[in-house]
This record gives sequence, structure tokens and C-alpha cells, in this order.
Amino acid sequence: MSEDIVVQTRALSKVYRDFWGRQKVRALKALDLEIHRGEVFGLLGPNGSGKTTTIKLILGLLFPTEGEAVVFGKRATDVSKNERIGYLPEESYLYRFLNAEETLDFYARLFDMSSDTRQERIDALIKQVGLDTARKRQLQEYSKGMTRRIGLAQALINDPDLILLDEPTSGLDPIGTREMKDMILRLKGEGKTIVMCSHLLADVQDVCDRIAILHQGELKELGRVDTLLTVADVTQIRARGLSGDCQNEIRDVIGRHQGELLEIGNPTTTLEELFLSIVRDSEARPGRRAKVESADASAD
Amino acid sequence: MVLEREILPYFDWLLGHEGAWGALPRFFIIAAVLGLLALVVGYVISAARYGLLRGGDVVYRTVANSFRELSETSPRRVWALARLAIKESRRRRVEVALIVFVIILAFANWFLSSDNQDPAKLYISFVLTATTYLVLGIALLLSAFSLPGDFKTKTIYTVVTKPVRAVEIILGRIIGFSIVGTVLLVIMAVCSYVFVTRSLDHTHEVEKGLTHAYDSSGNIKGHTGRTLLNSHHRHDVELNVDKNGIARSNYGHSHEIETRGDRQVVGQAEGFMQARRPQWGKLTFLDRQGLAKERGINVGSEWTYRSYIEGNTQAAAIWTFDNIDRSLDTDGKGLPIGLIVRVFRTHKGVIGQQISGGIQLRNPETNLRSDLIPFGALDNKIEEMRIKPNQTDTEGVERNLYDDFVTPSGQLEIRIQCLERGQYFGFAQPDCYLRLPNASPLLNIIKVYSSIWVQMVIVTSIGVAASALLSGPVAMLLTVSFILLGFFREFFVGIAAGSDYAAFGVPKVYGGGPVESLVRIVTQKNVISPLDPSFGASLVQGIDSVLQLFMLSVAQLLPDFSAFSTVNFAAYGFAVPAERVGQDLTVCLGYVVGMAVIGYFLLRTREVAK
Repeated sequence: MSEDIVVQTRALSKVYRDFWGRQKVRALKALDLEIHRGEVFGLLGPNGSGKTTTIKLILGLLFPTEGEAVVFGKRATDVSKNERIGYLPEESYLYRFLNAEETLDFYARLFDMSSDTRQERIDALIKQVGLDTARKRQLQEYSKGMTRRIGLAQALINDPDLILLDEPTSGLDPIGTREMKDMILRLKGEGKTIVMCSHLLADVQDVCDRIAILHQGELKELGRVDTLLTVADVTQIRARGLSGDCQNEIRDVIGRHQGELLEIGNPTTTLEELFLSIVRDSEARPGRRAKVESADASAD
Repeated sequence: MVLEREILPYFDWLLGHEGAWGALPRFFIIAAVLGLLALVVGYVISAARYGLLRGGDVVYRTVANSFRELSETSPRRVWALARLAIKESRRRRVEVALIVFVIILAFANWFLSSDNQDPAKLYISFVLTATTYLVLGIALLLSAFSLPGDFKTKTIYTVVTKPVRAVEIILGRIIGFSIVGTVLLVIMAVCSYVFVTRSLDHTHEVEKGLTHAYDSSGNIKGHTGRTLLNSHHRHDVELNVDKNGIARSNYGHSHEIETRGDRQVVGQAEGFMQARRPQWGKLTFLDRQGLAKERGINVGSEWTYRSYIEGNTQAAAIWTFDNIDRSLDTDGKGLPIGLIVRVFRTHKGVIGQQISGGIQLRNPETNLRSDLIPFGALDNKIEEMRIKPNQTDTEGVERNLYDDFVTPSGQLEIRIQCLERGQYFGFAQPDCYLRLPNASPLLNIIKVYSSIWVQMVIVTSIGVAASALLSGPVAMLLTVSFILLGFFREFFVGIAAGSDYAAFGVPKVYGGGPVESLVRIVTQKNVISPLDPSFGASLVQGIDSVLQLFMLSVAQLLPDFSAFSTVNFAAYGFAVPAERVGQDLTVCLGYVVGMAVIGYFLLRTREVAK
């Protein structure tokens, strides 16, 4: 296996069986994947498509029925591979009777870290995920967003080379979602390999270099996001300051060349962008209220 | 004190002696058989899942990885997981056990008989037994529900995706819960000490009218008398000329007496907690005709621990002691011995009155015998006496104990006879002993608590290992089964061994195997008569023979909880031998290692996220 390949699956299959060994569901069918060093890889698909099963097979939480998953050149069931892995589960499965510091200290000890390194990492991560003021509070008092953040911190405690994120933006508000996406991009910038699974297409589109689309346990599409999203037979023209006459002229030109004009008009931004700009504006100018048209005014 | 099994020297016990297998070889044999069995079962399951070749590959990799992973065990990770287990125990309000214990102690005096002949025995055995059951219960609950809880809440996902070896998860929990149990045990020990000392604490007043004692010249050499009745007993008083002295031992204790002005002040009770160090000899018997026998006679008791000698016959119980010299007599008052006699009366006589017995010394080489030394025996009471150095032989010639009755190699025979017709003395080997200087009572109580600690750690190990595969309630049931069968291991082995009971060193159990017993219960048939020969009887016994083989295999894994208990040592005031503590701790280590390995394979071969 090339050193550039961090995760490789070969005909990876998983069949869930009942107590008597009878087949319940075939969750994954002969998945072949290669995930390269330094990329953000997205596993996309609807619920029950096999995304989480793939992640669990890569982590060794499940055993493959057929095929194998190899991580850093080692079988997925080899515990020593976990030295270089960070994992954020779909829900933050953490010990709720511990506080943030104790949680990170516990997970850091599992990496056999020395006391000094441990303390340094804990301080840095707590600040990084913005939980400095809540570091002594038990996790059972945390909100969903705070729990996700401490979950992310535990996933990064060992400064991993490969980070597996299962639905990383699940349960986060738009600001939290953006922070999570920024964090993913920052980690990518540090040379980390990130594998994330999500059914939120916008999240995947924003951060992933490559994606695999799964449906009913089968790989349906695999490739670079920009390539996959490019529509080869459609040409997009974006310009600023065109007059109505100019736009009519462009329509004529397209008609003369037997082209079909699909749409011409003013572009819209994404709802996420709009929301974030409003929040930023609100933070910059506190007390400013949105103008709401009254019923009387509209009657006039 | 009852000591049904001889305590062997540590290395004899560990490595074997006189052709008997030692604990270590037995451990390795059981481990090898279990390992082989696990390989076969593992291969069958893997082959059924993945096919013959891949199944073999999976088994090979699992075994090969296990050696590497076990060698990579990190103390820091184990300690991290142990700390987590401690925090989890606190979250689960483990201190409730202490509240329950204190409540039990608070109301115990309502139920403990304060007029008992040996109140210390009653109180000490009560607190130790209560502590044992409570600590075992806590160990059971903590260990059986911890890992299943992690699986249920899926917190195990964030642990096993770290470089944690499965054995570290098992060991961390065993160590963590053992630490919690140890803290509970220490607190309970302190509470027990306060409870016992405060409950037994009392004093007396000296009765007016002391009697003077005179020496041969007619001078007053001291005073005698008795105390007033308090706490259901009184003491005989012995004072010197200055009227200082002691209230003699009764109800298992004595008091110092000091005279202040014209008043005698009786001090606190002393000697409730002792740690006698016995040196046991070898017991043989003579029957009523004076012929040597291995055992005495059975007076009808089902429990055959003791056998009896008939009074006013030539029947005698003979102890042969080794390594006897003058150093045992530290103060020159004589060779200290202790004697426990079970008295069996065939006629009532005067209840509470002593039955006469005699002690005779014999040199095993020269056959020189001493004159009979009389003593009075009360049933089941520890008599402590001194055999004076100056003795007379049967011819009336003055002899010295050490020069004439002890052989040059240090051997001495002590023969005990019952002197009353129609009465019987019952003895077992530990009932007569030479008293070495007492050990420290504090150290002894620590040893006793160490035996409770050993039981707690074993239960924890079994619970954690079982919970690596099973759900909480099922793991708890399995561990409870281990505890119950462990407490009745001898009976269980007796059923499993059937007619081969002697080969396993257990008493015969009547009534056949499990199915035959069931048939006897349903048909209301007694346990002695054999079943009528028929196809049904053969079928039942055939099924039983298979079940008995399985039971014998299970018995090899069962911890013998009844043998671990040293409560009787403390209750009767005997020091727990160091060999015994060493053996218990070694067995404990064996269970921890064994259960950690079993737990490792159960956890490693389990799909965590299923």
C-alpha cells in the first residue's frame, strides 16, 4: 500500500445477523475505497446507506463479513493504529459524570501521554473549542453544542493524523456548524486526513475534497467534489453592472448560436451565508432591530 | 476452633507434596485445558461464520495478536481506567453500603445475646460476617454492571478507538473496583473495631469480704475473692499483699485490679482480642482396648470432623509434637498448651460441671510416661494450661519434662484421656496445641480482613470478566452462581464426584447426581436406597454421569469461598498463619490473571458497535 494512502478498503462488506446467525440486513456491499493523505473525504448518503457502518469498520468497532479495511497499513482490528486516529462519534458518547478537564485527562492518559504533555494539550484544546469557562462543569450540565465541542476536543487529544467525524455538524446551530467546518479546513491545512460522513449536502460540499456517495450499502459515486458538481454542457456567465439592453443582447447572441437560455437574473446567496452575515452584523451593532412592515402600513 | 483442612507450608501447597498436585501445576493444567477448549470453540464459530480457511486465519490472528497485546499492556492506561472505575463507583453512590453497615451495627445489639459465654467470639464473627457479605455484594454490583453500562451508553466507543488493549479495560476495572472495595473495607473495619470494643467494654466492682491467703509460715501472701455480677458474669479475684492483682479470665477476658485508698478499682476488660499462635501436632487414637487407631469413635454426629474417646477406658487421643525445647517456656512456669474438648455425655450428670480428664506425657523413644495430670473439661471451651517442668513418672520418680520426656530430636507425646465412665471427649487434630508467644492482634485482624479482601477481589474479577460478554443482569447472575457454588464447593464436588468422592477428598453425598436427585424429590424416595433397576433409572444415571463430568470441570474453576474465610480465627482468638495468607493472596492473583485473560478474549472477539 502506497504511503500516500491512509485508508484503504478492499471489497469491504458487512452483514448484520441475528442471534441465530440469520441475515438481518446487508449494510455494506463490497466497498473499494482509497483515502489519501491530507484530503477531506466525505461519505454521503441517506440514512441507512452504510456511512456509519463504514466508519465503524475502519475503526475496528465492527468486524467485516468479507473484505478488509486497512488503516496506515494495518488491519482495522489492530489496536495500535488508534495511536494516530481521532474519532468523533455521531453522538458524543462521553462519561457525563466527568468535567471537561477530567474527560480530556482521561482520554489523554489512554494515549500514554506524560503529565506535562497532557496538561498542555488539555489547556490548548479547551481554549480551541471555546470551553474555557465551562472546564470544571460536569458534562451532564452541557448543552448539545458544548458536548459536541468537548467530543471534538477528545478526538483531537492525541494530535491525530487521521480524524474520523461521524455527522460532525449534527445538533449544532449555524454558528457551531460554521465553526466546525472552519475547524475541519484548519485541520486539513495542518496536513491531517479527515473522513467525515454526513447527509447534510451543503456541509460536505463546503469542506470535502472528494466524496463517495453510498446508497443501500453500495458505492454509487466517487470523485472530486468540484468535478462531480461541474455540469459539462451548461455555461455560466456572471457579470456585474449589465443594463437591460445588454442582457437582451446576450439573449439574442445565445439564440443566434442555437443555445438555450436557462436562466438570467440576480443570483441569491445561501441561507447559511445570510444567517451568518446577520449574526455578525448583530454582534457588531447590538440593539439594531430589523424593520418589520406593520399590518397598518401594508393596508395603506 | 475448627480447622477442617491442614494448612500446608507455602511451597508444598504451591508446588505439590507427597505425590499431590500443587496449586501452580493445577493452575497451568486448567489454563491449558481451557485454552484448548476456547481454541476449538472459537474455530468452530469462526468457521461457521467465515468458512474453514478464513475461520482458521481469524483464530490464528486473534491468538497471535493476543500475545502482542498482552505484552503491550500499559500501567498508565490501566491506572487511567482504574481511576475512571473509582469515579464511576462514586457516581453510583457506593457509600450507601457504609450507611447500611452503620445501621446494621446500630441495631445489632438488639439481636446479639449479651449473656453469651464468649461474647467476643459472637461480636467479632458478627461484624466480620456482615462486612464480608456487604463487601461481596458491592463488588458484585459494581463489577457486573460497569462494562454493560458502557456498552449501553456507547461510551465504550470513545475508549476502544484509543490505543487501549482489551486487557487494560478489564484490569482497570478490576483494580478500580478493588480500590473502592478496599476503602470500604478499611472504613468498615474501623467502625467494627469501635462497635466491638464499645459493646464489650465493661468493668466490675470487687465484692466485699476478701479472703486472706497464707503462706507456709502463716503470713498473709495475698487475698482472694470475686467481683460483683455485671454483664451477666463475674470473675474470681486474686490480689497480692498490696491488694493489686487481677480478676481471672472468664467469658474470654480478664481485668487488672488496682487498690486506691481502701477501694479496689477494676480496670477495662482485657484479652477479648487475642492472636494465639498454635503449634499443632499429629493426632492418633487408642481405642478402648488400647489399640492404635487413626480415628476415635463416632458418637452419632453426622459431622465427622471430630471423633471421640470413651471415658474410663484405655481410649486416648495422642498428639505427637515436634521441635520442643525449653525456649517455648518463656517465663519458666511450664510448657504452655491449649486444649479444646467437645464433651459428649451419655448421662446428664450436673450440667455446667466439668468432666474429669487426664493428661499424660510420653517419651516416644524411651516409652517413659509421666503420672496422670488431672484437668477438668467444659464443652468447647479453650483451656489454656502449663505443663510444669518438674514431673513424676508412673513409678513416682521425679523427672524433668525436657530432659526425660522430650526426645533429643525434640519430640513429645501428649496423651489425653476421659476419666469418667459413660462420658466421651471429642477431638480433632487442631484441638491440642503448643502455645507460642501471641502474635499482634492488630496484625492478625489485618490478616483476617485480607481474606475478606481476597474474596472481594475474586468476585470483582469474575464479575468484570463475565460482563465483558454478557449484559449486566446476566453477568450478575453468573457471578452470584460462582459465589454460591463457591461457598458450597465441597458439596458441589461431592455431587459431581459421585462414588469417586474419596479421590477428590470430599465427603460422600447421597442421592446421586442432579437428575437422580430430582427424581427422588418428585417420587419422595429416600437418598440412601438405590433406584430400582430399570431403563429409566439407567437413563437418569447416564444423563447424570454426563452432567457430573461437566460439574467436575466447572468445580475446577470455582473459588472455594468457605475455605477463604478466616472469621473463625479472629473469633476464637487465633493468629492466621502466614502460610494461609500467602496461599489466599496467590489464589487471588491466579483469579485476577485468569479472569483478565478470559475477559480479554471475550472483549476482543466481541463487536463493540453491534
